[in-house]
Order: sequence, then structure tokens, then C-alpha cells
Amino acid sequence: MTSAGITITGLTVGYGGPAVLDQVSLQVRPGGTTAVLGPSGSGKTTLLRALAGFVRPAHGQIEIGAKVLTDEKGMVAPERRGIGYVRQDGALFPHLDVTGNILFGLPRAERRRAAQVGPLLELVGLSPDLARRRPDQLSGGQQQRVALARALAREPAVVLLDEPFSSLDTALRAATREATLTALRERGATTVLVTHDQAEALSFADQVAVMFDGRFAQIGTPAEVYDAPATPEVGAFLGDTMLLPGLADGRVVDCVLGKLDLTEPATGDVLAMIRPEQLVLGAPSGLTARVVSVAYHGPDAMVRLDLTDTTTRLVARVPGHDAPENGDLVGVVVPGAVRAYPKPAGSG
Amino acid sequence: MPAFSDPSGAVLPYDGPGAPSVRARRSTPTPWLVVVAALLVAVLMLAPVLVVFGQATAAGAAEASRLLLRPRTAELLRNTLVLVVLTVPITVVLGCAAAWLVERTTLAAAGVWRTLLLTPLAIPAFVSSYAWTSVLPSVQGLGGAVFVTALAYYPFVFLPAAALLRALDQGHLDAARSLGASGLGAVLRVVAPQLRPAVAGGALLVALHLLAEFGVLQMMRFPTFTTAILQQFAVGFSNSAGSLLAATLVVLCLGLLAVEVLLRGRARISRLGPGTRQQPVAHRLGVWTVPAIGALAILVGLSVVVPAGIVLRWLLRAISAGAVDAVPLLSATGSTIGLAVLAGLAATVAALPGAWLLHRYPSRLAAGLERMTYVASALPGVVIGLALVTLAVQWARPVYQTAALAVAAYTVLFLPRAMVAWRSGLAAAPTELVEASRSLGVSGPGTFARVVLPLVLPSALTGFVLVFLATATELTATLLLAPTGTETLATAFWSASDELDYVASAPYAAAMIALSAPLTVLLRRQILDQR
Amino acid sequence: MRRRTFLTGLGAIGTMSLVGCGSKDKDEYKADPGSLQVYSSQHENVTKAWAEAFTVATGIKVQIRKGSDSSMGHQIVAEGASSPADVFLTENSPAMTLVERGKLLAPLEEATRRQVPANLTPSSKTWTSIAARSTVLVYNPAKLPKAELPKSMMELAGPDWKDRWGCAPGGADFQAIVAGMLAGQGEQKTTEWLKGLKTNARALQNNIATMKSVNAGEIPCGVIYHYYWYRDQAGTKEGSGNTALHYFRNQDPGAFVSLSGGAVLAGSKKPEEARKFLAFVTSPAGQKVLVDSKSMEYAVGTGVASAPALPPLSTLQAPPVDPFALNSDKVSTLMTDAGIL
Repeated sequence: MTSAGITITGLTVGYGGPAVLDQVSLQVRPGGTTAVLGPSGSGKTTLLRALAGFVRPAHGQIEIGAKVLTDEKGMVAPERRGIGYVRQDGALFPHLDVTGNILFGLPRAERRRAAQVGPLLELVGLSPDLARRRPDQLSGGQQQRVALARALAREPAVVLLDEPFSSLDTALRAATREATLTALRERGATTVLVTHDQAEALSFADQVAVMFDGRFAQIGTPAEVYDAPATPEVGAFLGDTMLLPGLADGRVVDCVLGKLDLTEPATGDVLAMIRPEQLVLGAPSGLTARVVSVAYHGPDAMVRLDLTDTTTRLVARVPGHDAPENGDLVGVVVPGAVRAYPKPAGSG
Repeated sequence: MPAFSDPSGAVLPYDGPGAPSVRARRSTPTPWLVVVAALLVAVLMLAPVLVVFGQATAAGAAEASRLLLRPRTAELLRNTLVLVVLTVPITVVLGCAAAWLVERTTLAAAGVWRTLLLTPLAIPAFVSSYAWTSVLPSVQGLGGAVFVTALAYYPFVFLPAAALLRALDQGHLDAARSLGASGLGAVLRVVAPQLRPAVAGGALLVALHLLAEFGVLQMMRFPTFTTAILQQFAVGFSNSAGSLLAATLVVLCLGLLAVEVLLRGRARISRLGPGTRQQPVAHRLGVWTVPAIGALAILVGLSVVVPAGIVLRWLLRAISAGAVDAVPLLSATGSTIGLAVLAGLAATVAALPGAWLLHRYPSRLAAGLERMTYVASALPGVVIGLALVTLAVQWARPVYQTAALAVAAYTVLFLPRAMVAWRSGLAAAPTELVEASRSLGVSGPGTFARVVLPLVLPSALTGFVLVFLATATELTATLLLAPTGTETLATAFWSASDELDYVASAPYAAAMIALSAPLTVLLRRQILDQR
Repeated sequence: MRRRTFLTGLGAIGTMSLVGCGSKDKDEYKADPGSLQVYSSQHENVTKAWAEAFTVATGIKVQIRKGSDSSMGHQIVAEGASSPADVFLTENSPAMTLVERGKLLAPLEEATRRQVPANLTPSSKTWTSIAARSTVLVYNPAKLPKAELPKSMMELAGPDWKDRWGCAPGGADFQAIVAGMLAGQGEQKTTEWLKGLKTNARALQNNIATMKSVNAGEIPCGVIYHYYWYRDQAGTKEGSGNTALHYFRNQDPGAFVSLSGGAVLAGSKKPEEARKFLAFVTSPAGQKVLVDSKSMEYAVGTGVASAPALPPLSTLQAPPVDPFALNSDKVSTLMTDAGIL
């Protein structure tokens, strides 16, 4: 299979009303996996449907490899794009069995060769015994994987996944996701995954594009968007954050947790963003805090604390075996550098 | 997927889940070819109504008021309304009660009852009225008319009510109970609102059938607008008096459609979330078992067993008297089947553009087109027949007195039946599957052939059968439009029974029942046995 | 599988219908241009008997379109000069007069006209009578003793007769009787009589229903045409066993004799065959077909005796009415105004 990169330039989709996608640009490298992450209604599914050819953009251009799929002059029909598209519900054809579904997109002559179904089922981690099942005899995760096998049967250069795991329960979701990722890597397909689940985006993709209100707020590696979010909103969307007001002078910010190093230079009134796992709790010395509540999760625990002599409420993620008790007085340290954002005008 | 809301007369647009999202709707441009096709069909459907109003207005205001503002009109109006007001509630009670017993209680042999309760669909109302008058001449007038029509038409309520009760999610009832509602309260507050649109649709269907009923009322000597229109036709072909009465009837039909819209309410019933439906829990009948079985037995007895038995008795008499002439009987059966097949195909094809439009590109335009088709087919066959005769004589002479004109009339009359079937079928082929197919490299026409058609075909066939059944027993339009020399079972039956020749009419009555019965059973399977 | 049964069922129906269509002539579904088109509102069995005998005699094929008098008359008028009809046969003459006034009838052949006595043809000489029927009062002697029988049909509009008689006012038969009354008695008397009818009479769907109601004792008497009674008497007497006939005679409106008409259409595409058909119907052979058809209508052809059970036409003392003067549209207007239609 030849992989091809995706280049989206200045894509705007309107549906006749206010823009759902506003001047969006994105690049996905050949064979790469990009997760488009955003809250519902942010326009991420529309982006996927525009890629697949079900939505006609008002402006902008979509290219796959060297082929222009959509520009001012027109658009290529969905069936001629060579793009695999797997929806949230799988959308298996209810009148066909698993084999019929998987072979659906192949040329007539190849559809007779049912033997090719077995390897495809194995590719997505299913038993070839399922080949003659009907869709309603499959579990949700199995349906999802059959849908993926169906999309992969045509050896598409690009595969689009629209929240494919969101309707599955937790255990199934991890397994299906793993199987999907393995299958896609094996085929070397360029993949775009749409999701609102940040853990899924971070673990699945080599590039994460965070979308708010029809625009990309940040595009980067999982580590970049998590550790160095472009805005506090992006940071908050990717995980729990604390925003502490402080005064920055270049490389250091002064806030209730003391003087902290900055990852990026900043000056003036800022908000320092700290993630719960950046707090280290220890024996009470220096900065101290009283434990208000502990939510134990097994591997780790979320600890809420009130900073001594302040009204500041902190949250720390600590290893589960090392969690303090309610009412304990603990010391708080922030060992690494933090990121600061200019304080929005008008806020106290 | 919810079952059809409406078995055979189809005034219920499909409101349930499966309607495409707003997002999907505008993503691709509206296919103008389909719009044009749907418009053409709508124009065909509306043409008869326009002709009727045109002829009525041609009479002039003075003539119109002379013909309409007279005691006879008041008498016809009163009779028509009294018939509707008495019969419709009876059918609602019978239909809902029977549906409840069959679908939600521990009644034994529910499957058998389900079939039996639908069998009246196989016995045309004018046949059962013939059966009753032939043994009990005192069954006549308003009482007789209500008696016969209520027994003949309650399945129109039973079918949608049963389908809905069957598909009802027990989870809703449980939730209501856990929120503190009593058993009855839960039924009233959870089941009744869900039942309302379906029952309103069924009741509307009954009312429209009553407005259009001719055979029964003629036999019962109970004059209504429709019998008066046919009488005026007999007197004056298509005179202004008949057209004025017809126009009044059109207005009545529109009024009924409006009432139905009000009664149905804005309710949309959809099942949220991916959860599976909980199987309903049967209500224990206990000591009420025997009375319930007794009541159902009486209902089936009066609506099916007695009329069919009487027809059989007359048939046996006709056979023993050697009065059954096979040649005209076979010929009438042949032309009935021929016309019904043609009408079934025509209506099924004609309904597709509108249904497709409504399914894929719901818009005011599409909904308006759909309503238009309902208006035309809410009209009695005689009005449509009359209008098409006028149209053909003046503008389309070549089709005059051909099967084509009769088939056109049947299409106008029965198109919504095909429409409802298509819509319920198209709901089984949602946009997502079409898109999945497109993204798998299959073109638009290929997708239609390989995804949409296989999923929709069973429903389309249901629509075909519904139209076939209706055509096979249609009387009034056929009386006006049948090609020269063509006798259908209904018209042959009618000319014999009009002369009160019970023996000679029996074979035709029996043939109509024999033709309809298997299809009714098939319909039951299609509509009530859906998952 | 259910779906499969369903499909099989449909397939069976489809096959049945193909067999059904295939087993018949193609011309079942449309007018056959090779056949003579006869529009007939006469009784089906009589028309058929004429057509069959005519085809046997001449080899000319005939196709019949059934209808009822008035609507068929109006239909031919609406179709105009290009009507497919070659020949029009009626039960009563007003429908024929309607077409005649539309100037759509071809002149009657002299030879055909002479086959029927002059008093049984209209003054206009564009059509001929082909059969005749007489108005009678059928009564149930158990409910209405002979002594109380009305002397004139006009009496039935009086208060004494409230709810005591019936008729089929929606049919052309009865409307012809009213047309006869209108021609003989004038508009005012007819209008009043119709008002009385609306109050007094039970409206039944047709003559047979009227007769059966009288027979069952539901009403004491009813106005019908004679032949329904004689036909039933000749058969099972099921519908007339308890009844007798009363002839009003004395040129009473109730003694009206209605003429069934036959004519060739001016726009006929087969005028020769059409004239032959009409000549045949009125010929002694054709009139014999009528008598043999057991329809019990009066034969009108010169020298042909009607069924022996019937009192001779000449003894009925019918009111003298020129059929040409009968106005069916005026009658339907009067009846509509009276609230009967």
C-alpha cells in the first residue's frame, strides 16, 4: 500500500449559516496518525466529512498525495477518493453478512473470492469464524472491527475514523483501539481519528489537532499539546489544570507556590498553569497544605488540599500507594518548570 | 425501527427515529431531477381536486347557493357528520382495546387473534353490508351503517395501535412506575401519549373512509355526500350540482386532515441512546381471561365469521342452483388482478420520488408535496373518477376509457399507501449506510441498487400489496372509469347486488375475499412481525 | 424466512395476474376499433342478447359499454362529435332526447322507422323505440286493501299517504315517470307532487328494492315499472309473492308508458354497421330476442307479440306524451330543488 499525506488548506464550510469550519489548515504526514480532538459541536466531524467528500466546502482545498480532491473548481465524488471511512456506529449493511460487508467495496470479480476475508478479520483481531455472521449477531466491538476491515479491504491510502470507539464500553474500547491501531500501522495507512476523548487522542496519534469552534487551537505532538498547550483552554481540555495568578519577570514566575521556573519566557501579570501531577507532596516543611479529600483510583489518587494561610485550593495526583489521609498536613513542592499565560484583561 | 403507523390508508408521515440529521440534510445539493419527478406526481394528484373546484365555480355564485344552501345539503351534511361522529369513536375503542388485549396481556394464542382481528381488511365493507342485509333486512339506516362500517374499519385503528404497543419499551413504563406513577397512571401518562399519533392516524383513516363510503350506505339507504354525488352523476354525468357537492366534500376532508394534525400533536417519539429495548411485560388477565376472549370472539364473529359465513351460504346456494357462470367470474377476476397489479406498480413507482425527497432532503417543499398527495387521496373515488373523466374527455382523449385512466385514478387514490411503505422502508436504509457505501467506492446508482434497494424492497412490496388490495375492491371510481367491456369483481358484484340478487353476487363477493385474504395475512407479517 | 414467504406470495400473485391477463383478449382493456361500439343503459342481458344474435346474423362484432340512462346521455354529450359510441340504447327516452338536443344523432332510416308503429316513435324521427315499459303501483293487499287503492298517482302526494309508499327517485326509471308528469300536468303540479313525495315516500335504491319492501310489508305500496314484478312472478316469486299490481289507466300520469330508445350517433365511424344494428333490434327477429330474453319488457315492433303474461300495451290507456317533449334536465332540477336528489 502506498501511503499519502493529507494537506488541508484554508478549508471553510458553511452549510449556508455561520461557518462550521473557519479557514482550517492541517497537514498529516504519509502513514501518520492524527487525532482531531475537540468538544462536541466544534466542527471535527464536519472536517472528516469534508475529507470523505460528503460535505462541499465553501472555500479551501484538500489534497491527498498529489491529488487535489476539493478546491474552488469542484470536488471528487466520495467513491473516487480512495478514502476509508469508519463511523461511530460502524454502519454495517444489515442485509449482508460479515463477508458481504467486507467485500462490498471490491470490484465484482474480487467479491467472489471469500477467502480474502479471513486474513482481513485476523488483521483487525477477529476470528475468521465470524465470516458468515450477520451484523446483529456481533457485539459492538466486533461490528466496529468489521467496519474497519471493510474499509481496509480496499487498501485505502487514507482511513478516517469518526469516534469509532465511543459507543464501546471501557474494556472493549481499549482492546478495539489497540487492534485498530495495529491493523492501521501494519497497512501503513494515513489515519485521521476524530474524538472528544483526550486520553484516546494522546495515546492513539502521533499528531494531535485540537479544535475549538471550527478552528484549530493547536496542532502538535501529544506531548506538545499536553505539556505545552497553546492556550489555557487547550490545556484544560487535555487534562486537569490549576491556574494560579502570579507576576513573571522573564524566566521566573512568583505565585502562591513561590518562585517557579518558566518553560517559556514571560513578563507581567500572568496565570501559571500547573497540572496535578506536577505537585509533589512530602513531609510538612516549606509550603504546607491540609488534605481536604482523597479520591483513590488504584494506580493513583487525586488529593485536594488547602494551602496553609491562603484560600487557595490545590489538586495533586500522587501514586496510589503513597496517598495521604484526610486532615494530614503535607509539604508541597513543584520541582519542574511551569508554563505561564498572559492574564486576560479585565480579570481580577 | 418502528412499525408502520398506518396499514393501508396512510395519512401518517413517518415521524420516528431514523430521520436524517440536519447536518446530513444540507450536505449534498438537492437532486432537481427527483424534485421535478415529485412535483409531477403532486400535480397529477392535485389535478382532480382543481377540476372539481373549477367545475364547481363554473356554476356561478347564484347557482351554487341555490344548489348548496338548501335543506337537502343540510340533511346530507348532518348524515355524514353523524356517521363519522358515531363510528370513529367506536372504532377507536374497539381497535385500542383489542390491540391492548393482544399485545400487552397474557391472552392465549395472541398470534391467532392478531390475524383474526385483521381479517376484516379482507372483506370489503360493501360485501359485509350485503351479507348483513341479505339475512337481516332491518340492518339499515344510520344504525345499520354505523354497525357495518365500525366492524369493517376498526382494523385501521387496531393495526397501528398494535404495532405501537408491541414496540413499546417496557423501560418507559418501569421508569414511570419508579417515578411514583400508578399502573394506570403510567399507562395514561406514558403509553397514551405515544399511542396518540398512531391512533389519531387510524381514526382519520376511518373518518376518510366513511366520507368516501358508497356501497354500504347505498345498501343501508343512508344518504351522505358521496351517495348524493353518485346520484347526481347518474342523473347528470358531471353536472355542477355533483361538482358542488364534491367540492363541499373536499372541504370536509381538509377539515378532517386539520383535526388529525391537531389531535396528533407535535409529539415526536424517539428512543434515545444506544440502549436496547426492553421486552414488554404481559399484563396478567386472571379472572378477566374469559370475558376478554368472549369479547374478542364476538368482535371477530360479527366482523368476519358472520359476513363470510353468509357469503359462503349464498355461494353454496348459487353452486347448487348451477348459477355460477365461470366465464364472467374468471374474466372479472382476471381484469381485477390485472388492474390491481398495474395500479400497485404505478403507485409504488410514483410514490418513490416524494418519499426519497422527504427521506434524504426533508424540507418544507418536500413536506408540502407529501401533504398534497394526502389531500387528493382523502377524496372519495367517485370525486377522483369524475374529475379524471372530465380531464380525459377535454384534454386527454386517447386515454379516455382505457385502463390507463383507471390506473391513474387508483394511483391518485392509493398513492399514500405506497408512500408510507416507502418511507418506513427508507428509514431502514439511513444516510449513514449510503455514505458508508460511497466511501467504499460504490457510485450513487450502485449504492441505490446494492444498499438501498435490498433494504427497502420488503417495504416497497408491502406498499404494492396495500395498493393492490385497495384497487381490487375499489368500486366507485371503477364504476366510472373501467374501460368499455371490463368488469371487475367489485363492479360485477355491485351490479348483481344492486338488483338484490344475492345468489348472483355471491361468487364475486367470495372471489374478492379469496383474493384479499392471503394478502392480509402477508401484511400482518410484514407490519406486525417486524422486530 | 418471513421475507421469503412474502416474496413468494407476491410472485404467485404476479404470475396469477399474468395468467389472468393472458387468458383474455387484449381488447379487454380498451375499446376495440374493430367492433361496433354500443353505449347501452338498457338491461345488460337484453343488450347482450341483441348483440350476440346480431353478430351471429351479420358477423359484425359488437362491444357494449354499460351505464345508466342519464349519465350515459350526458357522457355522450360531453364526448361530443368524437364520441366513441356508434349506437346508443336507453331504458327510458329522456336520455335519448338529451343527446338528440345536442344534435348528435344521425337521422333514422325510413325502413327502420317503419318497423315500429308511428305512435311509439318521437316526432323528431331521429330515433326509434326499441322496447317499452309501463308504470304500475305494486301493493301488498295485506297492508293496503284493494278498495283503498288510489285512483290517480297524483293522490300519493296527499297527507293520507304519508309514509305509506315508496319509489326509487334516484333512478332514471322514476325520473322518466316524473318527466311524463311534467309534460302532461305542467310544472306547478309536478313541483307540488314532488314536495309530497319528499314528505311521504320512502326512497329506495331501485325498483327491485321498492318491490321487495312492499313484499315484506315494510311499506303498503310502491311505484315501479311492470316488468320487475312479472319477472319475479315468472321466477321464484321471492320478491313479489305477497303483492299485486294496480294499473292506474285513464291516461293518468301513473299510467305512463316509457319508451326505450335506440339511435345511431351522427359521429359514428361505422354508420353502415350501426344502421344495420338498429334495423336488426327493431326487426321482428330482434324483437323476438327481446321477448325471449325474459326481460318482460314490451316489444314494440309491428306484429311481434309481447310475453303472454303481460296485459297488451294497447289496453293500458297511457297518457299521450310525445317522447320528444320529455325533459330530463328539467326533471333533475325540479327533483334537486325538492330536496330529493
